[in-house]
Amino acid sequence: MTSVVSAGKKWGASLASRPENVGLGVMLGLGFGAVALAAQWVKGPSSLLVAIAMLTMVVGLIYIAFAGGIEARKSLAPYGLLKPGMIWLCLFFLAPLWSMVVMSLSSKAGRFDFFPDFTWNFENYRIALTKFRPQFIRSFSYAAIATLLTVVIGYPLAYFIAFRGGKYRNILLGLVVVPFFTSYLIRTLAWNNILADEGPVVSLINTLQITGVFESLNIMQNGKLMNTPAAVIGGLTYNFLPFMILPIYVSLEKIDVRLVDAAMDLYSSASQAFRKVVLPLSLPGLFAGGLLVFIPAAGDFVNAQFLGNPQTTMIGNSIQDQFLRQLNYPVASAMSFVLMIIITIIVLIYTKFMGTEDLA
Amino acid sequence: MSTAFSKRQKAGQRLVNVAAGAALLYIFIPIFVIVLFSFNEPKGKYNIKWQNFTLDNWANPFVEKELTSALWVSLRIALIATIVSTILGTLIAMSLSRYKFKASGAVNLFLVLPLTAPEIVLGSSLATLFLNRSVDFGYATIIIAHVMFQISFVAVTVRARIRGFDWTLEQAAQDLGATPSRAFWKVTFPLILPGIMAAALLSFALSVDDFIITFFNAGSLVTFPLQIFGASRVKISPQINVLASMLLFTSVALMAGAMILGRRRERRHTGTLSK
Amino acid sequence: MNTRRTTTPKSVQASRLNRRDFLIRGGLMGAGALSLPALLAACGSDSGSTSDTVGGGGGDSSLFFENWPDYMDEETIDLFQTASGVSMKYTEAFNDNNEYFAKIQPAMSKGNAIDPDILAPTFWMAARLLQLGWVQKLPKADIPNFAYLRDDLRGQSWDKNDEYHLPYQSGIAGIAYNSKITGRDLKSVSDLFDPAFKGKIGMLTEMRDTIGLILMGEGKKIADITTFDQASVAFDKLGKAKSEGQIRSFTGNDYVDDLSAGNFAACVAWSGDVLQLSKDNPDVKFIVPEEGGTSWYDTMVWMKGSENGDAVAKWMNFLYDPVNAARLTAYVQYISPVKGVQDELVNMGGDNAKLAEDPLLFPDTATFSRLQSWGALVEEEEAKFDEAFASVTGA
Repeated sequence: MTSVVSAGKKWGASLASRPENVGLGVMLGLGFGAVALAAQWVKGPSSLLVAIAMLTMVVGLIYIAFAGGIEARKSLAPYGLLKPGMIWLCLFFLAPLWSMVVMSLSSKAGRFDFFPDFTWNFENYRIALTKFRPQFIRSFSYAAIATLLTVVIGYPLAYFIAFRGGKYRNILLGLVVVPFFTSYLIRTLAWNNILADEGPVVSLINTLQITGVFESLNIMQNGKLMNTPAAVIGGLTYNFLPFMILPIYVSLEKIDVRLVDAAMDLYSSASQAFRKVVLPLSLPGLFAGGLLVFIPAAGDFVNAQFLGNPQTTMIGNSIQDQFLRQLNYPVASAMSFVLMIIITIIVLIYTKFMGTEDLA
Repeated sequence: MSTAFSKRQKAGQRLVNVAAGAALLYIFIPIFVIVLFSFNEPKGKYNIKWQNFTLDNWANPFVEKELTSALWVSLRIALIATIVSTILGTLIAMSLSRYKFKASGAVNLFLVLPLTAPEIVLGSSLATLFLNRSVDFGYATIIIAHVMFQISFVAVTVRARIRGFDWTLEQAAQDLGATPSRAFWKVTFPLILPGIMAAALLSFALSVDDFIITFFNAGSLVTFPLQIFGASRVKISPQINVLASMLLFTSVALMAGAMILGRRRERRHTGTLSK
Repeated sequence: MNTRRTTTPKSVQASRLNRRDFLIRGGLMGAGALSLPALLAACGSDSGSTSDTVGGGGGDSSLFFENWPDYMDEETIDLFQTASGVSMKYTEAFNDNNEYFAKIQPAMSKGNAIDPDILAPTFWMAARLLQLGWVQKLPKADIPNFAYLRDDLRGQSWDKNDEYHLPYQSGIAGIAYNSKITGRDLKSVSDLFDPAFKGKIGMLTEMRDTIGLILMGEGKKIADITTFDQASVAFDKLGKAKSEGQIRSFTGNDYVDDLSAGNFAACVAWSGDVLQLSKDNPDVKFIVPEEGGTSWYDTMVWMKGSENGDAVAKWMNFLYDPVNAARLTAYVQYISPVKGVQDELVNMGGDNAKLAEDPLLFPDTATFSRLQSWGALVEEEEAKFDEAFASVTGA
């Protein structure tokens, strides 16, 4: 018995002598406790125990910080600064994901059963993956096309600002960002004015008599631009364009102009110099931009709702409909989870190659 | 050969310029439409087709009571959420940029996750949590949701802005006899403040404009974007465009102000803040 | 903006007071409910803007009415507040039955009160709220003007004794078309499926109106439909039209704009909207198809947990005063559930008097006979309808 106590004492002492581990441990402990409480891993009296354990950790930490002197405080500081924000994220980002997983495996007793029970109900996933497969496919293909388009439209602009912007760089960057301070929904609705059947674009196309070209490219359908897949993809492209331009700009800006000049001398043409020097150096920005455009675009439902037709709905529309209209929380959660998993896989592959720093 | 080369090069350059100009134009077309239609005098319920020029909408920007009150709701939420998230996010950013410690890589990754998760997943999962815990939807749930996505945003932005900060300055102040807290508030804080303000400003804008996450967590409270969403099914008045234009002009003014202020500061402390 | 707002000159208002007085007293007698509060309320509404102290119940009572957008003129609210002394909060965030239900569900299912005292759900949603026990019995003794409720709206199957709801407005869902685009007059539901209008057809997100119309086009009687299987033919037809690209979009009230702009050649539409629109754009026409149109009504229900029963009664009584109901009709241009509105419109004179002759506001018996309405659907069947409809609309 005494050996246990002395071992405990020794362990305590060794902990106190390595305050960094304590800081890390308490942070993890508190985060875990927060998730456990919020996601109801523990219920009733045991949740009180978890709360007491969390409180003890905090008290112990404060004790060590005071007793351990300035060095201890210094190695505890980074964790101390992290803690409030991290706990918030544990409570309202991690715990909700857990609730979502639980919900996605629950089943409803009736149409108006608002508290589905957890039953390992994989049927929800079957529905999500079969009934809503078209929406998933559409979401990812629309998002992919929109991402490509943002590259095509955004790269020249980023290039121009980085290499030819001169002293106007900041102003030009401001111009890129400013429009996105108007409301997202209003921006999207504005395309309604522009693409309407009797709007300026369609009448221009009609006057030039090139409707056929657009029809054959499947951009126009039955002589209209609005309520087509092209309109939805166009909306996505527009709304997420700055997320492509800014990262590309950041990576281009880092390139030494002399390097480009040297490449010009070295290679026979400007395009070759671009391909061999500038493009590779801007790849991190391109990849970061790709992710920052693709992810929100894949989960969006506003563009499909405002600019699309019943055959252009994306998975976001379905999740929103199942959740907020049909009140079918389990199926909506299953769809959300599948979407999240697919995107996480993409992010993980990405971070494997690129690291997280460039996402900032 | 060389003339041909330079000709081709010039043509290529011109192409880039034209493409860049076209892209900028593309970015501004809808904005132009929004501002233009704030001067429209629509005949029916929908402000879609151009009719007549009028200044009435700008003379009475707040006649749509619900739209105005929704805007106030949004601004109030954004203010509170931004204050909370700026504090929490800045703490994280300082921790990450100032100290080297175990798990900083994991923390980095964890921070990026909310930014890379689709909004619809964040919104619906948080709503599920609230539903499970029988939390009533309203101001509190919206603020919680906004702070959640703002924290990561602020942390990442502030960290990027203070990445090159010279922390030995603070040490120097302490060596000269300042207490650690005094050294922080008198030396460090004023220098990193512009970065924090910029992040706060952007996250304020994110909060005011957030639709998807708010849609799931608002209950029957109506924010500005939710009001517009509702209106889009029934009636789009030019006042929507007026208020949107106001928001736009305000943020342009704020950004311009911040830019000028930042430039002045930078000039004063050349070398202490890297870009 | 305010093209439809009827501003009545003060003198006209004054000259109408007597008549209103008479009507209210008559209503009181008719209802046989001469309770003191009701009488006070009635007096209150008499006083108009001349005095704000006469209103019964004192100035501290309040009322929160959540309505559909653009479904009420401000004047009516102002008049009510001065007349009754009730301070009224009025918002219009109720823009979709299902979405609003999802919003209030977390609070109501726990037995918590929501902020609004009165909501304006469409009849089938009102039935659902009643079935879930989320609405209260109306203080009908204090609503003597209930006597003015149209006979055909009484005794609905889901609220046999009219205890839990009062209709707010009613209307017809039929077909609206832009004759400039169609180039011909439409008369039948099958016109919506005419390949000539490919990609130019709109449908309503309100399932009962869209499916109801198609079912009638298939010769079914929608009142008899109780199971999903009986209606599946309409879903098949709609689904086929969707995949062939016949349908441009499913909309709420926003079809009005698409129709006017020519984006829609034709669509399923609500009578009141089109009536307003056709004033600006004479090309836009509304018909009740020869196979029939659906008739619907929005209700006012008193939500559980609300303690402002007095104010609720005053408000409903106020709205059921034919004079006030007529003013509302002149603004929203739907079919009023209140008797006597037609006469009041005539008394209002001018454009309003013309409304009294409008067949869409006061349908003749021939039109009425072509209208059908949905009965109640049981929970599981309704779920099947909603699921099927969601998948047709693409979500």
